[in-house]
Amino acid sequence: DCDLEFVYDDSDIYENEISEQYTYTEEPEFQLNKESFEKLLKSKDYENWSSLSNENQRALIMHIIQTLDVSDKSERFEAVRWVLYLVQGVFGECSNIEEQKTKCRTNCFLLYKLGIFNIVQELLMMEIKTQPCPDITSLPSNPITPKIPPTPYYWCWEGGSSPTPPTAVSADKKSNIPSLPDSLELRSLITILYTMVETLRRDQHSDSDEHVKLRKDFFTELEQGLNDKEPLIITLFNMVCKFCSHTSFILPMKKVLLLLWKLLLVSELRWIFMLCNHGDEHRWGNPQCGRGERGRGYWGTTGVGGSPSWRGDGGPQCHPKPQRSPRTPPPSPRSSSNYAGSSKPPISAASRGSRSYRASRGLPKLARMTSKVFLNQVRQKFIGFTLPGDLTTVAGLPEPTQDSLKILQKHAYTPMSELQVARESEISKCPLTIGKTEVISTEIPERLYQAMLPHIPQYMIALLKILLAAAPTAKAKTDSINILSDVLPQGMPSTAVASLKLGIDVNRHREIFVKSISGLILLLLKHFKLNHVYQFEYMSQHLVFANCIPLVLKFFNQNIVAYVTTKNMIPSLEFPACVIGEKTEITAESFDGMDANNIPCWRNLFSSINLLRILNKLVKWKHSRTMHLPSIISGPNHMVPTQLLVVFKSAPILKRALKVRQAMFQLYVLKLLKVQTKYLGRAWRKSNMKTMSAIYQKVRHRLHDDWAFGNDVDAQPWDFQQEECALRAHVERFNARRYGKIGSGGSGGGSLNPSTNDDYTPVENNLQNLLKEEVELPIEFRKSYDTWLEREVYFSNTDWDQLLS
Amino acid sequence: SSVMDPEPIVRRNPPGTKAEDFYKWPAQSFDEMDTTLAVQQHIQQTIRQDFTDTETILTVPPGQDEGVWKYEQLRQFCLELNGLAIKLQTECTPLTCSQMTATEQWIFLCAAHKTPQGCPAIDYTRHTLDGAACLLNSNKYFPSRVSIKDSSVAKLGSVCRRVYRIFSHAYYHHRHIFDESENETYLCRRFTTFVIRYNLMSRDNLIVPIMDDASNTSNNNSVDQ
Repeated sequence: DCDLEFVYDDSDIYENEISEQYTYTEEPEFQLNKESFEKLLKSKDYENWSSLSNENQRALIMHIIQTLDVSDKSERFEAVRWVLYLVQGVFGECSNIEEQKTKCRTNCFLLYKLGIFNIVQELLMMEIKTQPCPDITSLPSNPITPKIPPTPYYWCWEGGSSPTPPTAVSADKKSNIPSLPDSLELRSLITILYTMVETLRRDQHSDSDEHVKLRKDFFTELEQGLNDKEPLIITLFNMVCKFCSHTSFILPMKKVLLLLWKLLLVSELRWIFMLCNHGDEHRWGNPQCGRGERGRGYWGTTGVGGSPSWRGDGGPQCHPKPQRSPRTPPPSPRSSSNYAGSSKPPISAASRGSRSYRASRGLPKLARMTSKVFLNQVRQKFIGFTLPGDLTTVAGLPEPTQDSLKILQKHAYTPMSELQVARESEISKCPLTIGKTEVISTEIPERLYQAMLPHIPQYMIALLKILLAAAPTAKAKTDSINILSDVLPQGMPSTAVASLKLGIDVNRHREIFVKSISGLILLLLKHFKLNHVYQFEYMSQHLVFANCIPLVLKFFNQNIVAYVTTKNMIPSLEFPACVIGEKTEITAESFDGMDANNIPCWRNLFSSINLLRILNKLVKWKHSRTMHLPSIISGPNHMVPTQLLVVFKSAPILKRALKVRQAMFQLYVLKLLKVQTKYLGRAWRKSNMKTMSAIYQKVRHRLHDDWAFGNDVDAQPWDFQQEECALRAHVERFNARRYGKIGSGGSGGGSLNPSTNDDYTPVENNLQNLLKEEVELPIEFRKSYDTWLEREVYFSNTDWDQLLS
Repeated sequence: SSVMDPEPIVRRNPPGTKAEDFYKWPAQSFDEMDTTLAVQQHIQQTIRQDFTDTETILTVPPGQDEGVWKYEQLRQFCLELNGLAIKLQTECTPLTCSQMTATEQWIFLCAAHKTPQGCPAIDYTRHTLDGAACLLNSNKYFPSRVSIKDSSVAKLGSVCRRVYRIFSHAYYHHRHIFDESENETYLCRRFTTFVIRYNLMSRDNLIVPIMDDASNTSNNNSVDQ
């Protein structure tokens, strides 16, 4: 009955991130790689890899590179296997897992140094192209019609029951089901890339100077790649789209998504690194969003991670000692800085005073605008008139009011987004003066946005489609996409143990899907939000149109406590444990004894928190979207897209989710409840006072925010369509102005003219030029122009004097 | 200017220069070369002085940045390889050599395309030289010829690997063209020394037997020493 032991981070520990890219069914392939590589060694009269001199290792890799250039497919694939085996740490020569890890790291650096990363990337492009290529512009691209949902959502409605392991029985009816061998080449190539990215992106204290330098080069190269015509990230996104639109494609989607997520993570790390180094004062100089605090947000961890969770029954709260299970990451400098940042280290419940409450949820704040409004109100009240533009004079105001003003001003801040919106509206007023002075950054997120812009709607739809298919409660539908082709083996399991194993494998596979997609979407949202708020809005609007909100809510409408503590994992089958040391027979007993209540499944808790954060980002300050959360309860509502009418209730779902005993998870749930509290009505508030006080305790206060008892709801009927359309118009104007044709052309149903800038190009009024212009006359006109002359010129009477008078 | 001044030396081949007067200007020491293209100028000068003296041509002037040195050398190789390519065009056609091979062991993919594909040998040659020229002149990777990023220098290895196949194809399939060209330029010899010195290729892959019988060839053909 304790809190879940969990430390949120950008990703899981290295070992888990590496082993999760493999399914258990891929196990036999490890041996094939090993055998192939040993054959290579033999042909060169070498005993083993580890005993080779550096010189010979290099020469062997050169030979492999040469073979990778060969046009014969099977020969080339052998070379791919050799690289793969090197990247897998030459596990056949390792006696323990630690050794394998070290060798993998050394090899990754060596391979990178000799240019393998690029070569494999080229081979990947080639392998993709050998599949027939559909035009991705033909995908659903009309984002404004939520009535015709671009994605059909079919959910199995079994809220409360734990997800049953899907049986593979449904699959063995047909014989030509896509299975593992179909994607062998692509999987191998992506595995190489992924392992290299995941290994090279992490630094180690033991790294030599050369490794540090290579790592830097690697980052530079990935960043430079964004300038390519088709960067790797975009290629992968296009694969995702292709996968969703043409079910005939057999793409190893899990690996694609994992690689995509990690590439974005690398580019984010790189960008943040630069921001921190250069000290972007414009962005960071805001006193109320102090550097440390924002910085923590970037890293994905926040202060709440260390505070104990809340229990609905109000009973004594216990907090686990900061001991870490093997699954949780070792204390990194950045997560320990969280503790250092708060006034006290996490302490036991008994001694916890109000001070630590405040420390754990951050200081209260409010938008600068709010303090202005308040000032005007009190001036009107006490001195009878307002002083527009004057924010300091307090003459004539009573002392208590002056005190509250002081407090308000102390906590006031201006969000970056507000400045960006203001700037954008100024530019749209004077595009030829202010607009010309705008300097568009060439930072990573900006380039990423430009590269993604033409197809953002398709990308979002595709990601959500896969998320839907991977959800634990999803039912296998014939028309939905098949995400199991890269886990199912060719033959179906024959024994009970084997099918149990496959069941766990499939569940694990699905969970990793959810993990990578949730991580991916959250990262993108953060990326864009930091760069320009309209880029963020563009992406989030497309998520909303593609029904991200109900999708996530449905995700939480399962037995979420069970989900975050499931153990779909067999330690002895994880890579590299499955290839090193004695082989143990998998028996029915292997599946038992993995339950420990307060040890969560890291990936599931991580994805759940990500999804909650995505939801928070989508509904924050968006009353119309917030309305969706409770309006689902209130039933028919003409403003709400039809499929949302499916009766599901966000408040009870979220309330149930509070049973997950993890502080960060709960915080985001409470935040979601907080934004909708005022729409839920008195009755709900009355019967949920415990939840209300939990919100009060845990969620950051916004001064002057009447979140609980706001009564002006009826006064402002929020119109979903209207609000979204207004936002959309702004975003489109922003895209069209900044990115011209790529923005409005690619986004599909753009209602705006191709370029608003046309309005501002000066009219040509030089007579000479105009007369010189060649005009192509229609042939009919040329044949009978004399008739036209007769009728329109000679016989028409024009009173020219009228023009002059 | 006064009559006392010596005629200033213009190191150029202005229009109308006769063939025998090409590049007929006095040599300059590397330190005196005062342009951003000094390295290239230096390399070309040493080649003109004695193209058989591979050792001198490949000797880095003291204080010269190694990355730039490798880059300029490779640039020069590609430049001169065009000569070999032109000679090859006379008899290497898609009909005679439909694939890029050297010894029959391997057929190579042409990497100059967005997605690598199999090309006839002569196309492979042209595409590869073209691709190399594109890369070496690309603003993205080589914006400056004075200082070059390490991550860009790392790209030279694969250019070498691909360019070398032109030599090996010529050697194994058009031997007389290869010999003729080699005797005029010593290009393959120089290239082989170059890639070995900077560890850009492994010895196994250097399949043109140039180092061993280098002395024989030069004796047989009485190339001036």
